[in-house]
Amino acid sequence: MNASVQHESKTHQAVLRVQGISKSFGDNHVLKDISFDMQKGEVVSLLGPSGCGKSTLLRCINWLEIPDAGHIRLNSERMGYAVNGTKVGDAQLSKMRSKIGMVFQHFALWPHMTVLENVMASPLHVQKRNRKEVEQEARAVLKRVGLEDKINMLPSRLSGGQKQRVGIARALAMKPDILLFDEPTSALDPMLVGEVLEVMRDLAAEGSTMVIVTHEMKFARQVSSRIIFMDSGHIIENRSPEEFFDNPQTDKAKTFLHSVQYK
Amino acid sequence: MNFYDYLSFVYGAVSTIGVSFIAIIVGIPLGLGLALLRWAKVPLLGKCAYVYVSLVRSCPAVTLIMLIYFGLPQFEISLSPLVAAMISFSITATAFNCEIWRSALLSFDRSQYEAAQAFGMNRWIRFRYVLLPQVWRSSIPGLINEMTLLVKNSPAISVIGLLDITRAAQRIGARTYEPIPPLLVGFAIYIVIVMLLIKLQKHLEVRIRSAQEPL
Repeated sequence: MNASVQHESKTHQAVLRVQGISKSFGDNHVLKDISFDMQKGEVVSLLGPSGCGKSTLLRCINWLEIPDAGHIRLNSERMGYAVNGTKVGDAQLSKMRSKIGMVFQHFALWPHMTVLENVMASPLHVQKRNRKEVEQEARAVLKRVGLEDKINMLPSRLSGGQKQRVGIARALAMKPDILLFDEPTSALDPMLVGEVLEVMRDLAAEGSTMVIVTHEMKFARQVSSRIIFMDSGHIIENRSPEEFFDNPQTDKAKTFLHSVQYK
Repeated sequence: MNFYDYLSFVYGAVSTIGVSFIAIIVGIPLGLGLALLRWAKVPLLGKCAYVYVSLVRSCPAVTLIMLIYFGLPQFEISLSPLVAAMISFSITATAFNCEIWRSALLSFDRSQYEAAQAFGMNRWIRFRYVLLPQVWRSSIPGLINEMTLLVKNSPAISVIGLLDITRAAQRIGARTYEPIPPLLVGFAIYIVIVMLLIKLQKHLEVRIRSAQEPL
């Protein structure tokens, strides 16, 4: 009884609801009926062997990939569709996307803009906010990721770790309801991984709602409130990090943890 | 060469520059439009752009200008030679500029375009702030090169009776029986025009670079 009441109030304030998402590329069924909810302040790590559909799932959330079936709801607003159920056009879709921040594996910074301009671009041109205020906030957010002295540089002059921190600052500047991280450290030199994880750890501690696709198992265990383990397009475990890492239920998860040499 | 000879050079230079200038003004944006249609693989229109470019690219300047000037009156559209020249050069410039823009678009890294989508930029904002500045920068050398080719193809306008620089030189040479000096004067005018275009290119490139390296 108590549990169900709690459950009720929880789903009520779900930031993100993923309901029955399926996606195929030709004959390749990448996602098969994926569903899960996320509450405000939750950090979910999506784990699984490569090719299991983690990144595709992430890209379905902000409609970079359009799912074949299922719904994505962000604050109960259905992604990609208007209230009356018709598909939305480019302008409306862009508005919906601006509530979701995304950090890319290969940074995807805009190379012709300085660090500061990268961070200011969306608040300025998409959210149409006041330039002075945007610049102030952009400087603050860059300070937060430790890049206040690189503000006027072009991305090409930065190290991988610095680029990714710009990527995170760029996502934060939009004040999104949820942050998506698509393997944010996979393209980095091992030495530079730490600085990026540290920024993400701070964000998690401050209560940001985050979905993280990662291969950093220790990190996932430390920051996540929940682990979603995927294999060939299905969610096969969705549990607390302690339960998942210490006592995986499925053979697939055991094999996976063994293969990534998680101890 | 007398005063009137120099005057006809001025006249020739004005029509050469005028026709080329119009073709540049029309060809750059229209070429970009066609290139975008092909780049975004817009159904039907993308294919039309491809056919247009293929046809125009295989038509020599002289042939095209005659087709426009002598062909259109068949359809009750008669044009002055100057307008026919401008239209014909604009058609060519559009096709060639399309290919220049398109090659810049093809080398454009799509992942940052995707990032722009993910950050809520609509089509216009993506184009204006992410795509265009980068594609413009990598297209400048090709576009300027195409401008110099336009100027150097301009003697084609003499086939429909317009006086261009080379035609002026030829006339003067025929009258004075000294063909070389007027041709050299003509050559000098071409050099000046092309030098100015190269200067424009340098100016644009420096301006872009300084905008990119504020420190």
